[in-house]
Amino acid sequence: MLTALFVRRYAVLCAVCLAAFAAEPLFSPGAASGLVFHHENSPTPRKHLIETMGGGVALLDFNNDGLLDIFFVNSGHLGVDSKDSFDRANPRYWNRLFRQNNDGSFTDVTSASGLSSAGDSNYGMAVAAADYDNDGYTDLYVTSYGHNILYRNNRNGTFTDVTGRAGVGVLGWSVSAGFLDFDNDGNLDIFVTRYMEWDLNHSRSCGVFPKIYCSPSEYAGATSVLLRNRGDGTFEDVSASSGIAAKKGKALGVAFADYDDDGFPDIFVANDGMEQFLFHNNGNGSFTERALQAGVALTDDGKRISGMGADFRDYDNDGRPDIVVTDLARQNYAVYRNEGGGAFSYRSLQTGLAALSGVSSGWGMRLEDFDNDGWKDLFVAQGHVMDNVEQVDSSLHYLEPPMLAMNRAGRFERADLGAVEAVAGRGAAFGDLNNDGWTDIVMTVLGGKPQVFTSRRGSAHWLTLSLRGTRSNRDGFGARVLVNGQSQYATSAGSYVSASDKRVHFGLGPATTARVEIKWPSGVVQKMDDVRADQFLIVIEPERP
Amino acid sequence: MSGLLLSLLLAWQNPSPEILQHLKAGADALNQNRAAEAVNEFRVTTEAAPEMPAGFVGLGQALMQAGDYQGAIPPLKHALELNPDLPGAHQLVGFALLAAGYANEAIPHLEKVHAIDALGVAQLKVGKLAEATANLQAALEQRPGDVNTMYYLGRASGLLSRQIFELLRATDPESARVHQILGETYSVLHNVAAAEKEFTDALRLRPGTPGVHLELGELYSAGAQWNKAEAEFRAETKLQPGDPEAAFRLGNALLQQGKVKDARHELERASGLAPGMADTLYVLGRAASLDGDKAAAEKAWLAVLASDKESTLAGQAHFGLAGIYRERGDSAKADAEMKEFQRLQNLRR
Repeated sequence: MLTALFVRRYAVLCAVCLAAFAAEPLFSPGAASGLVFHHENSPTPRKHLIETMGGGVALLDFNNDGLLDIFFVNSGHLGVDSKDSFDRANPRYWNRLFRQNNDGSFTDVTSASGLSSAGDSNYGMAVAAADYDNDGYTDLYVTSYGHNILYRNNRNGTFTDVTGRAGVGVLGWSVSAGFLDFDNDGNLDIFVTRYMEWDLNHSRSCGVFPKIYCSPSEYAGATSVLLRNRGDGTFEDVSASSGIAAKKGKALGVAFADYDDDGFPDIFVANDGMEQFLFHNNGNGSFTERALQAGVALTDDGKRISGMGADFRDYDNDGRPDIVVTDLARQNYAVYRNEGGGAFSYRSLQTGLAALSGVSSGWGMRLEDFDNDGWKDLFVAQGHVMDNVEQVDSSLHYLEPPMLAMNRAGRFERADLGAVEAVAGRGAAFGDLNNDGWTDIVMTVLGGKPQVFTSRRGSAHWLTLSLRGTRSNRDGFGARVLVNGQSQYATSAGSYVSASDKRVHFGLGPATTARVEIKWPSGVVQKMDDVRADQFLIVIEPERP
Repeated sequence: MSGLLLSLLLAWQNPSPEILQHLKAGADALNQNRAAEAVNEFRVTTEAAPEMPAGFVGLGQALMQAGDYQGAIPPLKHALELNPDLPGAHQLVGFALLAAGYANEAIPHLEKVHAIDALGVAQLKVGKLAEATANLQAALEQRPGDVNTMYYLGRASGLLSRQIFELLRATDPESARVHQILGETYSVLHNVAAAEKEFTDALRLRPGTPGVHLELGELYSAGAQWNKAEAEFRAETKLQPGDPEAAFRLGNALLQQGKVKDARHELERASGLAPGMADTLYVLGRAASLDGDKAAAEKAWLAVLASDKESTLAGQAHFGLAGIYRERGDSAKADAEMKEFQRLQNLRR
């Protein structure tokens, strides 16, 4: 017997009325009421690399009121002679939590929630969001140059810094992080990317006129970190024993999926200016790095890319998770199609993405079905890493509008985003802010105000699932969800320095019902037929298969 | 130059033993790079035998060795007054005059002895750019790899180009060629908008000008505007169907847009027009591979490696072959190709 609870239904908007929007851009860009945030990266003449890398954002429902809230990671004050103190006690440099109100506006609840203290020695980077203690409330893990912080959700609108007790205060320069249950024990673990061996006291200066941010090739790589959740509120650093620390990278982005369908989540790491990593989960607590053998380390012509953001989703609806990586201008965003049997093929040219990305630099991104036609489209936050790149190459730009590319049966075509500003886009989180069944986007801007892209909606149908693990982790992360031939891997990770809505969204096109199959991390397979479209559905993992 | 000195000595009929001793001492000092000592010995000679050109030639040469080119000019000129048919003296005074900045005056002396490298430099300095280019080109053929000659040849030909462009501009300021040259200049300066305008103006004035569509296409390629690049390269291939570069560029622009089959067609055409070109063969292999024709890709990449074993392109060909062999399940061959790829990558790190 299937267990499916329909707990929340939202009015299906009039398809005829919405068809009128078809000619307009899919999104309405702008700011949301009450969302008063300015990312402070404090650029200096010394061009410290950390200045240009931050801007995390998370979409989460921290108070379980059914509305997505927004958490922004701020960076900090960076003076010319700063030495590991970033004035984070100053409200200007706080991370910020905005609670969404019933009318769609937001209220800054940073102080009330206990999130104002980010640690004076932490220059903020990224955020990961998930229910690591399986108590039904979403917790936050914030990364920094300095050390990382785990904020446990107290279930009353407040958070507590439990970093010390949990043992997750990873040092160095952490960038993207994500929660996954790598050993399928029902507890979410944490994977943290670290960029490289860099610190303020050894920050190099590159270029004379103009002075520029140094290439990552100037610094030694660093290892990423895997923290295993013991299930008692503490974590164990298993980076070495798992094999993750065997490879030094220059890691910026991370995404999870089970690419070989062996029941264990694998990890793709986007590295800057070197080979990408694909950590295959051996199912026994260890990983083997297989990017080169799998064909995802380099481009098809053996070139390295400057990997920044990553996503691990099925763009061509063949049931296998593919990989998309954003990178620097003069490279192409990389698409690696999962061919099965552990092999991928480079598809940037055939998918049309190469032609769209040659002179753009991409960061936060996601394959997501924005027009609900049954094919995952692509949104990319863009902007060059160098704020003076025009002085070096006038055909490139520091400020760029984001890119929206619609997926037409496996080929991407640029779509009109309307009157959008050129900005230094960095983080991007994806979710249905107004619960209308259409995915919205929050993009952070380095040293600027975030942009909210609200979907104008259309006439196609959709289905959004909230997974509730029982034997598996409560968020159901790692579940493989199949809906009408499409597949998704449940996760809030991916993109760059950001965490997205953990609900699993599908566009159904003209279909008004769906066939749903969920393969939970526990191994339980759950099937539902004739599921009505245009609803939010909570699916609870059956206690028994 | 000591040979020159000896010949001068032999030419002089009756040197006294004392003079001969000073001349030999000066020559020995010159040979051993003791310039100051050589100057002293030759100065004694010129004072003792003012009618003897050898002493003045030696003195000039010694002063040049000491770096005093200006000081070397008078004794060398005096030697030529005493005997105008001393080729070595002409060469020395030509060099000294050139080094001291009297390029115009140096030219007849250098012409007399056919010192084409120095003559080319002198002509460059006085603005005789066509003659300079010709002489320096000939000098480079005599001494391939000489960096100084290469430098001056590059400079002379660059200035000559500019001079001709200026002449063209003055002759017909609104001609298509002027716009084309301006387009090329802006293109080098990465001023894309200005370059695009100039190339477009050139095509408007003379639509059939060969090469302009190619240049405009390359401009669009650099900006990853592949659809516009394709249109320009296609126009160029219509104008010049026998041009392998136009076909290659068109093939690559098509490939960048994922038009794999069309790309293969053009790249095969390019390869037929100019067989054995490694760049074309590599991209042809890439297009074939993306088209799923692994046998054709293998053939093209092996052809790259037949002529090119150490370049970046060779590394890429090894990488592509490794992928093909891995797909075929031939892990030994795949590993061998990957090893070669990594070896070439390490060479460049």
